[in-house]
Parts: sequence; structure tokens; C-alpha cells
Amino acid sequence: MATRSSSRPLGDRFYQLSTGRGELWQSLRIDPPLVLSLLCLAAYGLLVLFSASGENVADVQRQAAAIVVAFVVMTAVAQLEVDFFRRGAPLMFVGGLLVLGVVLAIGSEVNGAKAWLDLPGLPSFQPSELEKFLVPMMLAWYMSTRSLPPKFKDLVVCGVIILIPAVLILLQNDTGTALMVIMSGVFTVLLAGISWKIVFAGITAVLAASPAWYIFLAQPHQKNRILTFFDPYRDPTGAGYNIIQSQIAIGSGGLQGKGWLNGAQSQLDFIPESNTDFILAVLAEEFGLLGVLFLIFLYLLVLGRGFYIALTAQDTFSRLLAGSIVLTFFFYAFVNMAMVSGLMPVVGLPLPLVSKGGTSIVTLLIGFGILMSIQTHKRVLPR
Amino acid sequence: MAEKFKLNDHERETLIFNRRMIVAGIVVLLLLAALASWMAYLQIYRYEYFAARSDGNRLHSQYVSPNRGLIYDRNGVLLAENRPIFNLTVVRETATNLDVSLDLLRSVINLSDDDIEQYRTRQSRRAVPHTSVPLRYQLSEEEIAAIAVNQHMLPGFAVEAQLVRHYPFGGMSAHAIGYVSEINKEELEAMTPEQAANYRGTHQIGKTGIEKTYEDMLLGTVGYETVEKNNRGQVMRVLDRTDPLPGRDIVLHLDSRLQAAAERALGERRGAVVAIDPSTGGVLAMVSKPGYDPNLFVTGISREQLADLNRSGHTPLFNRAIASRVPGSTIKPFVGLAGLYNGVITPETVIGDPGYFRLQGRARPYYDWTWWVDKSGHGAIDLRRAIYQSCNTYFYQLAVDLGIDRIHDYLLTFGFGQNLAIDIPEASSGIVPSEAWKRENRNEPWYVGETPYEGIGNGIFQATTLQMASAAAAIANHGVIKQPRLLKGTIGSDGEITDVIFEDTAASRQLLPTQEQIELVRNAMVDVVNKPYDPNARRYEGSAYPVLRESGRPLPYPMGGKSGTAQVVEFRVDSAGNRDESEVDERFRTHAMFIAFDASEKSRIAVAVFVENGGGGGSVAFPVAREVLDAYLLPEGEQYPEVSLAAYDAADELDHDHDH
Repeated sequence: MATRSSSRPLGDRFYQLSTGRGELWQSLRIDPPLVLSLLCLAAYGLLVLFSASGENVADVQRQAAAIVVAFVVMTAVAQLEVDFFRRGAPLMFVGGLLVLGVVLAIGSEVNGAKAWLDLPGLPSFQPSELEKFLVPMMLAWYMSTRSLPPKFKDLVVCGVIILIPAVLILLQNDTGTALMVIMSGVFTVLLAGISWKIVFAGITAVLAASPAWYIFLAQPHQKNRILTFFDPYRDPTGAGYNIIQSQIAIGSGGLQGKGWLNGAQSQLDFIPESNTDFILAVLAEEFGLLGVLFLIFLYLLVLGRGFYIALTAQDTFSRLLAGSIVLTFFFYAFVNMAMVSGLMPVVGLPLPLVSKGGTSIVTLLIGFGILMSIQTHKRVLPR
Repeated sequence: MAEKFKLNDHERETLIFNRRMIVAGIVVLLLLAALASWMAYLQIYRYEYFAARSDGNRLHSQYVSPNRGLIYDRNGVLLAENRPIFNLTVVRETATNLDVSLDLLRSVINLSDDDIEQYRTRQSRRAVPHTSVPLRYQLSEEEIAAIAVNQHMLPGFAVEAQLVRHYPFGGMSAHAIGYVSEINKEELEAMTPEQAANYRGTHQIGKTGIEKTYEDMLLGTVGYETVEKNNRGQVMRVLDRTDPLPGRDIVLHLDSRLQAAAERALGERRGAVVAIDPSTGGVLAMVSKPGYDPNLFVTGISREQLADLNRSGHTPLFNRAIASRVPGSTIKPFVGLAGLYNGVITPETVIGDPGYFRLQGRARPYYDWTWWVDKSGHGAIDLRRAIYQSCNTYFYQLAVDLGIDRIHDYLLTFGFGQNLAIDIPEASSGIVPSEAWKRENRNEPWYVGETPYEGIGNGIFQATTLQMASAAAAIANHGVIKQPRLLKGTIGSDGEITDVIFEDTAASRQLLPTQEQIELVRNAMVDVVNKPYDPNARRYEGSAYPVLRESGRPLPYPMGGKSGTAQVVEFRVDSAGNRDESEVDERFRTHAMFIAFDASEKSRIAVAVFVENGGGGGSVAFPVAREVLDAYLLPEGEQYPEVSLAAYDAADELDHDHDH
């Protein structure tokens, strides 16, 4: 009873903050702080990309065009009512599964993953990317029909909701995306208030099972990545090359960096994948620790606004969905930065909003479009 | 109640969610803080280390090889130059898939297992990482194009231009100039660290001849540059450069036309010709046949090519001009001088020659060549006639009267028994026997019975063709000996030729005879060639005169000479070599010798000719010597046959087209 009454003033303040101001933006379904911080990130990313691509203007233009398209898509998504997502969640989820099935049947293969759909007249796209929203949406819908915290029976249902698309994506041989989809689901369940006991039990189970996974299930290239993470110098010109060169680039950047377009490691092509997954190495080399801290600061701005939106959301569905989208975004950025700097084994994930790649940016901003929809479609609650 | 419950439930859910979000926020902040700390660790704490690693990635010291000095002959004809060739090279560090690349290359260019094996050896010797190592030399234009097409599948491979040694005349002067070839491990290990450092940019080193002797002068000094390279090993910028100092260009005493004439005169026969300028000791020609093309060695001779060279059994790599041989009668003028010098004979001393010589109290006869013709001798004979008639009996007697030790002492004066040449270190010393020498080397006493053979050059004594030419030059030069030498001068950066002055230790010889004695022997040698046949006075003609007369071409200049025939197996021949040997197996035929000189007051050339298993010195070696003298002494247009270097140019072009 005591906890209930003490939360009230906090909730009130959030309500006050979200009402009465910025009616114009509200009517446009745009959240200026979020859009501004995202624009800053994207601009910073373009600057780094220009250097990382070897001053390739065409690359930068294509990326800028993708960013514009992504912002338009984000605004469009924000126009949709939250109810649209809530009511449509089961249908979209089932539809998503069907599309995944179609991809398995007729999808085309890129980099070993049969995850792409080439439809005539449309740019090729990766339906599994959308699962990162469809799974939290489905979970949030399911959870909102139950009372929190979820009971064990609910967890089983949640597990099934997460695993069906995850398995389909794994069958496409796209481990990275499957991992992200699982994580987006796990974040939803965590935010829904799953008992800490179950969380720790789950973590323990994963840790206990990992040696077995490593021995019986892991594929050779996965084992190789893990071994390389622990000792990059076991194969310095092969598997360990990327991470060694990337660390050299980061470390040699120092506090202030070598200056824009002046990174020796970047400009002399020592950093592989320098404009996609490893773009942080270019940033760190040319802009130094200060540049890295500025990037983290920009991510914090986005995350902070995301947290605010999630915390001020009006219902369970919105909260869970917003919270999961924000945490997934954080997870994305963190895993990439940790992997490029050698804190984690290499997994193929881009640095959100900075790495080259239109699909990734559009998908990310669809997520932020949902966030803006949640933020701008609030109803004045009866007091 | 239901309404209230629902509201409470809603609040409870909000609370649960908010708490979870706060935990998540804390975790997010902690993780980002950890990441920032890790970044700070890499970029601040370990900055020095990574900055050094980064520089190590991109900065490379390269050695810039100096251009090797050029070699000219006395007339400014280029004997050794540097030519650009295109090589396929590999930087091992960037050749990520060497075996696959090699397989691909094998299908598009001519790349043998031998090439690959030699490459692996070079790779294992490479001292500086990230530097390129040659895989295949002298790519053709088609091969360069084929590599360019496949370049994207050949990481770490590049076509590099390189200046390499080229000998425009091919085998013509191979034995004198020698050749350069790849440095081997032993040569590198024998160097001081400073010397080895100077070979950092160079793959090649002089192996024989002038190229080896004057290696230090020709090599130059290596240069350095610091370059920035990208990930594929391409040089992006040159940051710092110390230019190499090119090697010295040098001028030799050699005369290419004379060299060509000597080579042609020997033809397909095995043998050697050495020509010397008597007034300077400069070696005008040094030919050894059969020869070889030194260009084969420059970029590494293949096993197949080496096997081809050796298959002949005629050892083309062996320099016959500086190998010791029994000299036959060409030694007689020097033994005669020894007699005069020691007062054992005078120019007037006459002995009787019954066709043979017998040692006091011994029955065994030592025959004169006349004995084998008609069982007669020369009768009363003095030194001059003994030389131009090549009388054995006279020199049997003289050798015995002198004794082996006095012969030994005197022959040393003329440079026998030592390598008198200043810059031909590979030359053999020959053998000048003495009682002490025999005890030391054969562990036997000297037998008096051996001494007569030393008088006619068919005993233990051995000399090189170079030594014979040098000794002949000393007589031509009226008794003044000059040490033989190949190097004439060096060319400065201003193009001026500076003559090299060597300290000549031979000029102050103690045992030189008087001027009259020298002139007597010199004139006797002129008689060898010129004294005509007199039907009324038998055996008073020069021993080489009949060959001259048969040629139908009188000598347009004064010439002196002496023939010699060295026995390979025991049987007697006349010293003019007129015995019919066509029935004898080629390998057992006698070696033919002739020494000759321009007999003008100021002699311009002296020559020694050696024809292996050639037959008689007069009939075989004399025409060779004459052809060489003609080429040097007669103006162009009056020579028979004419000498031309143009044939070599044509052959060189042909040869170049056939490279790989």
C-alpha cells in the first residue's frame, strides 16, 4: 500500500510534463527532442562516413538520402494511432511469420544468410528486421491483456511468441538478427516485471548451457570468433586481424584524435569494414576519446528521451513496447561499440545511425516512429 | 470495487514497469560508463603503444639500391650496363593466399617449380619484413598484361621494374669481366655488418672477374627512404629519402675489337688468348674458350641451363687463360736469358748437336726433334739459332749447366711461379720447380735426369697463358716487366676519366739481364717468324716461318714469337708441331702454344695463345696469334679477316628476344 501512494506524485509530474506544451508538434505527431537528437547522431555519422568511405561523395549522398527517407517513414509511422499497433499486433505478428516462411521458401541469399526478399518493383529488404518490433508488439499486446507481473503460464506463452520467429530466422542462417529478436522479446518480458528469481535462474541456465552449446552446437566460424576474442593474436593476419587493427586505430587516436580525414589506419585501409560495422574505429582514430564520448553523449540523449517516453506512456502496451524499443536500440549500439573495441566477440552488427546502410537506418527509425506515436497520441486522462 | 481494483492494478503495473525501467536505466548507464572507461584505457593509458603500432603499420624503411657502375673498354665501348627488367615480386605479409595465387599464376604465366623453389629460398633470407621478394624475373609484355588482368586475385603480388646487369656482348668477355648473380648466404655471412648493410637494397653481387675484384667500387652506397604504405603494401607517400650513391663507372684496358678477333681466331677450339700492352701491362684481351653467356647468371641460372653448360664436358665456366699448363718450347727464350744472366753461356757459345743430348756418364739420350725427322742434329749451334730453330739439345745442355735452382731463381723474375696480375686474383701461380720445391711438394729429391726437360718446358714447370703473355711482353718491352692489370681508370661524376696508378712491384726486379742480352733474345724471336728458308743452309730458317710462308700473306709489321708444344702423353714431336696427329685421339693430342709480340722499337702488344689439344704450336697457335696481332696493329680495312662488333649486337638482340 505504501509503495502505491508514493508513486503517485512521480506519475503526476510526468503527466504534467507531457501536456500543455508544444501543441503544434503534438498535432504533427513529432517529438522534437527525439527528432533533434536523432538528427544530430545522423549528421555526426555522415561526417565520419565521409572519412571512412575514403571521401566518397556518392556514398555519403546515398546515406543522406536513406536518412531522409527514414525520417519520412518515421514521421509516417508516428501518424498511426497506438491503438492501431495494439489491435493490429496479433495480425501483424502472424503476417510477419508468414512472410518469414515465404523468405525461407523463395528468399535470396546475401553473405550466407537466406534472409532477403527480392520482390519485383521493390527494393530488396529483410523481413526479419521487422520482427524486432513485431515480437515486442505481440508480447506487449499479450501482456496488456493480463495483469502484471506475468505468471509462469504467461511466460510460457511469451517464450513461444519469441521462439517461433527466432527459429524461423535461425533457419535463414541469420544468427545476429535472431539474437536481436530474442533480446527485444527478453527486454519486453523483463520490463513486464518477470520475477528476478526467474531472471537469475535464466542467466544461470544460459551460462551453464553455453559450454555445451560451444562443444556440440557452435559452428566452426562461431568458435573461431570466440577464440579470437580471447586471444586475437592466435591468428593476427587472419581471424584476429580485424580486431587488432581496430584496436590499433582506436588506441592511436588518443584523446583528441588524429583529425578528420587524417586517420592513418582508416585512410590506408588497415581497418576492414571501415564504413559499416567497424566505423567506430574510424571515429575513435580521427576524433579521439573526445569524439567517442560525444557519440556516447548523443546516444544518451536519444536513450534519455526514449526512457522518458516509455515512462510517461499511458498504458501497459505502450510502456512495454516503448521500453523494449529503447533497450533494443541501446543493445544494438552497445554491442557494436563493445565488439569494435574488443570487449566482446565479433558479431556482425552495424553502429546504429552511423554505419553505412539504408535498411538499418530505416528499420531503426520505424522503431522511433512507434515511440513518437506513443508520445504524441496521449489522451487526457480523467483525473 | 471492481473499478477501484482495476485502478489499483493499473498503478501497480505502472510501478512495476517504472522500477524495471529505472533498473534498466542504471544498467544502461553502468554499461556505457564501462565502455567509456575501456575507451579511455585504450586511448589514454595505452596510447603510446597503439600509436607506435599504427606507425609500424604504415611506415616502412625501404632501401634504394644504387645503380651499379658501368664497365667500359679502352675505347669507350660498353661492356657491362644496367637494363630495366620487369619482375614479379611478392610481399609475403599481404599475400594472404599464397598457394592459391601461385596456382593461378602458373596457369597464366610461365612459372616453373624451380622459380618457386628459388623464391622460397629468397623469402627465407629476407631480412626486412614487409619488403618484396622477387618471384619471377624478366616478365614478357604478355605476362605483365596477364598479371594485370588477374591482379585482384593476386593480393601481395606486384610487377616491379628493376635495373639489372646486362652484358651486351654476351659471352665475349665473360671470363675477364665475370658476372654478377644473386648474393648467397655464405657471402652475406662473410661480410662485416656495415658491408652487409650496404647490400640491403641489392640482390646481386659480383661473383667472378672484374665484377668481383672491383665489387666495392662498382656497388655504390645504398640509399634509404621512409615511405607510407597502405594495407595492400602500396606506397602512398615518400616521407624521407637519402639518395643512394651510384657505383663508380670504370674503364678497362680491354679492347673489345681485339677480344672479338681473339675469340674468332680460336673458333670452336678450346683454349685461351691473352694480349697485353707491354708498356703498361694492361690486359688488352683475355679470352677463354668455350665461353658462356654471363647474362644467364644475372637473374639466377636455372638448373636446366646450368646442366646445359656442364653437359658439354668442356667446362665453359673454367677460365683457361689463368690456368697453369706445361708451356713447351715457349719457355726456351727465358731459359736462354737465364744462361746469359748467370754467365753460363755467352751469345757466342756454340755447342755441337748430334740430334740428342746425354748426361755425363749416363746412357739415356734426350732427343732433339731433328732426330725424329732424319736421325740428324743441328751440328754447331749458338743461342740465337737454338731459339729460332727451337733446338732441344742446346737447352738440355743449358738447363743442366745452370742447374734447377738457378733456373728457378731466374724464371721468378719474369713473373712465373706467382700471380703477378694486380687485379686478377683468381689467376693460378703456376709451378716453378726447385730442389726445395720438390722436396716440399713431392717429398722427393731432385734427380739430375729431370733437369734437361725443364730446359724445353716439358717437365714440372707450369705457367698460365696470362703469365706467358706477360713474360713475352717483358721481352717486347726490352726487359722491363709491368704487372698485368685490367683496370685502366675510373670515370668521375663529371665524366672525366682518371687513370688508376697501381704500385708496380715488378718494375724493380733484380735479376734483369743486360740490354744486349735482351736484344739478342728479342731478335732471335723475330727470327722465329721471319728468318726465311735457305735451301743452301739446312735448318737455319725460323721454326714458324714455313707456316707464315704457306699463309701467302707476308707480315706487314715486325713480329717476334716462339712456338711451343706441350706433351699430353709420352711421345716426341717436333717443336714446330708439324707431325701428323690426325690419327691420335683428340684428348691425347699435344697442347699448342705460341707467344708473340709487336717487334717495333716501341712494342704495342704481346700475345700468348694456348690451344688445348690443338696439335703443334707453330701450325695451330701461330695463325691465331697472328690474327690477333693483325687486328690490333693493322688499320681497319686492311685486316684479314675484318673484325666487326656488329655481329655481337645482332646476336645480343636475338638473345634478348629469347629470354624466357
